[in-house]
Amino acid sequence: MKNRDITLHINGEEYRLNVAVNRTLLDVLRDELGMTETKYGCGTGECGACTVVVEGKAINSCLTLAATMDGKRIATVAGRADFGRLDHIQQAFVDEAAIQCGYCTPGMVMKTASLLATNPDPSEAEIRHALEGNICRCTGYEKIVKAVKKAAQTMPGRAVAVEPCKEVVQ
Amino acid sequence: MSSRILPDFDLLLPQSIPEAVELLSTHRERITVMAGGTDVMVAMKFAQSPAKLPEFVMSLENVPGLGYVLFDPEKGLRIGAKATVAELLAQPDVKRHYRALWHAAQTFATGQVRNTATVLGNLLRASPAGDCSCAIYAIGGVVVLHGASGRREVDIDDFWLSYGVTARLPDELAVELILPPPAAGSRSAFKRMTRTSEDLAKLNVAVRLEMEGNTCVDARLAMGCVAPTPLRLTKTETLLKGHELTPEVLQRVAASVPWEISPIDDKRSTAEYRKQVSGVLLKRAIQDACGAA
Repeated sequence: MKNRDITLHINGEEYRLNVAVNRTLLDVLRDELGMTETKYGCGTGECGACTVVVEGKAINSCLTLAATMDGKRIATVAGRADFGRLDHIQQAFVDEAAIQCGYCTPGMVMKTASLLATNPDPSEAEIRHALEGNICRCTGYEKIVKAVKKAAQTMPGRAVAVEPCKEVVQ
Repeated sequence: MSSRILPDFDLLLPQSIPEAVELLSTHRERITVMAGGTDVMVAMKFAQSPAKLPEFVMSLENVPGLGYVLFDPEKGLRIGAKATVAELLAQPDVKRHYRALWHAAQTFATGQVRNTATVLGNLLRASPAGDCSCAIYAIGGVVVLHGASGRREVDIDDFWLSYGVTARLPDELAVELILPPPAAGSRSAFKRMTRTSEDLAKLNVAVRLEMEGNTCVDARLAMGCVAPTPLRLTKTETLLKGHELTPEVLQRVAASVPWEISPIDDKRSTAEYRKQVSGVLLKRAIQDACGAA
């Protein structure tokens, strides 16, 4: 049996698929479902460009057989934006200019999402430890670390002092 | 050979340990067992020859009840075959009682790999560079194997036979690892040297010491990346046992290490460098273990 029927729950949508057993989760996302937001980098679990969150845990989709993911809930970076409106993590990466070529960003954002889900207020050391499996070849990581800090500060539901809105002068 | 394309194979997804053992008995060497898959997937992508590729990959994904990390002060620590490195780190007793293993797990690969890779998989890969393997070798323990003819335990001292080869028979499934319960004066530490945090170690070392005051009653010293398999430094251990840990003793211990190891030149380091730093790293691990109390 070199193909298997699986059901994946990707960003809240159900997908019933028949996949070849030697296809990775990344292959299926990109090539079969056209969800190209998750990137192929090294293919060996070192660069983190292919990071997706499966059942709440960030993993390398390039090292995961799709056929073993039957019934799993999978989150990719595209699922974070709400009708084109970026979420707080994506917005923090934009605001802190933590993106240059952008290739590592989907993985960085998903790893950040899994970090903040378990540790809503990480220290810089914790952020750097969490991101050690995400390689960026453009930046010096400084802005990415700042973006993660900002994402933590701007997480919805977090009690923070908010500046009052300035009145719009017509 | 490609990092993108996996070779052709058939996937087996047993639903229980007996079914997995039955499949292993039928297909034997033609099966590669996969738990987390972080090693197996890379090995298949970069296999040197078609002869090294498996006909079947048997995933443990659907085998229930193997994801545990259970601590009992009397019996020790039991780690199931599907327990990931991240799950090991999440068990607070590991940090308290098995410090070398906790530290090895913490520095192991990356967050994404720790979420997928299993502790037993690290032992079964039988790489001389395995961080968890090194720590487990120093702590001691037994690997539990289930085969067609029943259950057997293999002491970790007898588990690695050569590079990439373990005592597991082709029809056996490794189901758990059992570490000994912590003794009163027992302490352990782990150290590694590498280029960036996610690289494989160029050298790693773990120690477990049984102390009475400042005197070392018993010692297990393990070093990685210095032989075809993780290595016990048994001769160096004798220089510690029964001795007070004075600077002179530590100096003798450090000086003994290069005579006991046989490192090679590879892309991560050179034999010469490894010999130079091996004694110092061991000494620091001993000091670290004692300082940790």
